[in-house]
Amino acid sequence: MSMPGQKPLSQRLFRFAVRVFPFDFQTNYGSQMEGVFNAQRREAEERGGFVGLLRLWGETLAGIFRTAPLEHWEVLKHDCSYALRMMRKNVGFTAVAALTLALGIGANTAIFSVVHSVLLRPLPYPGGQQLVFIRQQALKVGQDDWGFSPKEIEDFRAQNRTLSGLVEYHAMSFILYGHGDPDRVRTAVVSANYFDLFEVKPLLGRTFVADDDNIGAPPVLLLSYEYWKGKFSSDPSIVGKTFEMNDKVHTVVGVMPPLPQYPVETDVYMPTSACPFRSSQRVIDNRDARMVEAFGRLKPGVSINQAGMDFSTIASRLKDAYPKSYPDNIGYAAVTAPLREELTRQARPTLLVLLAAAAFVLLIACANVANLTLARMSQREGELALRTALGAGRSRLLRQLLTESFLLALAGGTLGLALAWLCLPLLTDFAARMTPRAREIQIDAGVLIFTLVAALGTSIVFGSLAALFARANLTASLKEGSAGGGRQKNRVRAALIVSQIAFSFVLLVGAGLMLRSLVNMLEVDPGFHPQRVLAMSTTFSFSKYGTREQFLEVGKKVLDRVQAQPGVLSAAIASFYPLQPEVITAGAAAFSGQFRIEGRELGAAEAPPLGSEPVVSPDYFRTLGIPLRAGRLFTDADDGKKLIAVINEAAQRQFWPHEDPIGKRVSGDNGDSWATIIGVVGDVHDFGLTQKVTPQFYVPPTEGIGPNTLVVRTAGDPRAMSSLITRAVHGVDSQAAVTRIRTLEEVRLESVASPWLTASLLGIFAGLALLIAAAGIGGIMALAVSQRVREIGIRMALGAQPMSILQMVLRQGLGFAALGVAIGLLGAFALTGLVRSLLFEVKPTDPLTFAGVATVLAGAAAIASYVPARRAASIDPIKALRCE
Amino acid sequence: MFQILVALADGEKHGYAMIKEVALRTGGQVRLSAGTLYGNLARLEGSGLIQESDRRPEFALDDERRRYYRLTELGREVAIAEARRMEEAVGQARAKHLFRKPKLV
Repeated sequence: MSMPGQKPLSQRLFRFAVRVFPFDFQTNYGSQMEGVFNAQRREAEERGGFVGLLRLWGETLAGIFRTAPLEHWEVLKHDCSYALRMMRKNVGFTAVAALTLALGIGANTAIFSVVHSVLLRPLPYPGGQQLVFIRQQALKVGQDDWGFSPKEIEDFRAQNRTLSGLVEYHAMSFILYGHGDPDRVRTAVVSANYFDLFEVKPLLGRTFVADDDNIGAPPVLLLSYEYWKGKFSSDPSIVGKTFEMNDKVHTVVGVMPPLPQYPVETDVYMPTSACPFRSSQRVIDNRDARMVEAFGRLKPGVSINQAGMDFSTIASRLKDAYPKSYPDNIGYAAVTAPLREELTRQARPTLLVLLAAAAFVLLIACANVANLTLARMSQREGELALRTALGAGRSRLLRQLLTESFLLALAGGTLGLALAWLCLPLLTDFAARMTPRAREIQIDAGVLIFTLVAALGTSIVFGSLAALFARANLTASLKEGSAGGGRQKNRVRAALIVSQIAFSFVLLVGAGLMLRSLVNMLEVDPGFHPQRVLAMSTTFSFSKYGTREQFLEVGKKVLDRVQAQPGVLSAAIASFYPLQPEVITAGAAAFSGQFRIEGRELGAAEAPPLGSEPVVSPDYFRTLGIPLRAGRLFTDADDGKKLIAVINEAAQRQFWPHEDPIGKRVSGDNGDSWATIIGVVGDVHDFGLTQKVTPQFYVPPTEGIGPNTLVVRTAGDPRAMSSLITRAVHGVDSQAAVTRIRTLEEVRLESVASPWLTASLLGIFAGLALLIAAAGIGGIMALAVSQRVREIGIRMALGAQPMSILQMVLRQGLGFAALGVAIGLLGAFALTGLVRSLLFEVKPTDPLTFAGVATVLAGAAAIASYVPARRAASIDPIKALRCE
Repeated sequence: MFQILVALADGEKHGYAMIKEVALRTGGQVRLSAGTLYGNLARLEGSGLIQESDRRPEFALDDERRRYYRLTELGREVAIAEARRMEEAVGQARAKHLFRKPKLV
């Protein structure tokens, strides 16, 4: 008592500390503990003064923090066993609720595992966030990614101040001899310091060293882990073995560790000196020979913006120094982006839309389980009220309910995780269409934490929804019997139903829009007849057929032999075929170049005309069913002495809208040579069904180099012909690699596979939502009917017809649906902008989709209400009145 | 826990009295704080070894929030069994001359 002001303070402090105990414990022992503490405090003060008091506080706090967790554990154990008992008693409820949650949590876990691996996780290289992708652009001529020439790589490497390293990369396809059949290998041609930049250490042997890059250095190879494992059965003595490629002996110097490869999967790596194209003087000296891509690593502390400014400076310097290579009218620029962003640019919008959709499914599942819980709570009202009356505090009950919901969500989460795991291979395939990071997709600790948090969050949402309602009604139910609070309870449940319908509406609209867009894509006339056409890549050794004459000869031999096969209607060779997956991935811009039209001069700032120049043999148009619109097609008589070209209608529309293009001359090499237009053919969607058709200038093989795809129209099933045709090609050159054999039907479906899968996933989500919402409506209507048996009985006794009762119930069910649709409509208007970038020729506010979805929802609500409505209509008034 | 049971062996007590009794008996070696005491009481009460007593000595000191606890039959049996076990253990240790050993060295 020496310091009177202290007493209330330490008492308050003690009370505060006691709060860490479970609620029941506080109620039971709180005041006693306080009494003990006060007595101890008095004694300590009298005996030991301030030091004694401090000591007491130390011991007291230590005691509290040692005891409290034990007490919480006890309560948890008790609640869990109680909850498990309740769950066992109510197997039906538990199963339905856990399954609903499993679908919601599973959908989220699955999509999140993709988002996490692809969009969120850093690249699996040391300091991956410092890796950047550098692009040169010529936007006015449609080049978003113009590529770099070796000269430009040198300039950027020498002049930049923001990178600690800059490497080049380009992908080639070569044939590797010396190990069984000639094998077409995906080859990455890279700078010697490529692996140093990515900080990759070899699994076996070494990576490239600076000397490997010198022209004339002995050719060396690095194998990717997968190729080494697959083709060489992980042969540990592979280093030092030699293979023949491009007529040169290559020595394997090392094997890569199993790492994801960007931008594409690769079988072997070679230094720039080993690539016959990259190392030719013609390419090295030509500033305009843009064939490689560039990666860099930022110096420590340098931001991506600083690097961007650095590259702009270099670009403007180059423009000043070489005005011929960078004319004003092409929109030349150099830009940079983090490598991670670059690799996932395409996948981001789709994945985010799917994640949002999955979140919606989970919200709907939550609302539904909350509703189920409410329904079950009304059965348990008696029990809960009794426990309150027996002194269980409200927070005690809340805790009990939350424990129950958490256990339920945990069960749902575990089941959901299993679902997600089952779906993962499918999703990985799906994501692989959009990003090279797909192979990194896995369920890791991050995803597990996400699932746990989702389950916890879910249980808090639906558990507290149920508990809030319980708080409001418990007292009432004790006072008034079980009918008490029914009104309010129904209102809560109706609100939950309406929100489910609203969410379902948004999801259904999303799925509907994707579906419409997909249908639009499939309805696009591709411009060719894909039926019964087989396409394949035929690669001949570049070194064996180096000259155009050699190539023409082998091409002609192949065509003659293939056409002689029974069942072959016609065959052609071409640089690529329509909708070829590799071509779609590369994009139209990769194939288009600048043209000049004879007699037309460009203004200084006017962008030059653009078009692509596919090389096709005479029968190409007939084989693919591309119609001739004017003039004539190539024939075997065209010997290449006079340069000729066939254009498509898009080229005619763009360049000769009011004239006859036949006889006009164009040049693809800046006026060095001119080709005369001899015919016009129909437009073909070469670069994707959703892509605008760009001008094409088809030229015969006599004018181009190396067409290496073969297209064959067959009389019967094209698949059945593939081995016959392969044998025919090998009959001409047994070392030719025949790969990527596909039918054009497959190719066409493949080209819409990504939107097809997005639409299916959204469709599945929306279907789930619809099902859950419909079940919800049915449930609440059934409950409402059973609560109103007496009222309905009276109405019928007073002469109401069963039909009007049926209509009354249906009206109520449809009322919920209408309210939900109205709210969903607002939500959909607000949110569908998100999917805009994924849609093809459908507005995000497409009225047809909105109306269709509203109809579907209304129909589902009507069907769901019909069963309870029928029951209401068949109520026997006498029985109904008697049983009350 | 055993200490609390022993503290209640000679009659019912309230919390503060138990703390004091234990401290006195063990020469200050066992010092219970409010938290540990009531944690143990809750456990003992839950397993039926002690119970709250309804009788309250009419002391002027008696505080309204003070509650008294006493041993149940079961509690007494458990305390005795535990004391016996310890006694036996001590006896065995003694038989093996555990306590004398240091003196022999």
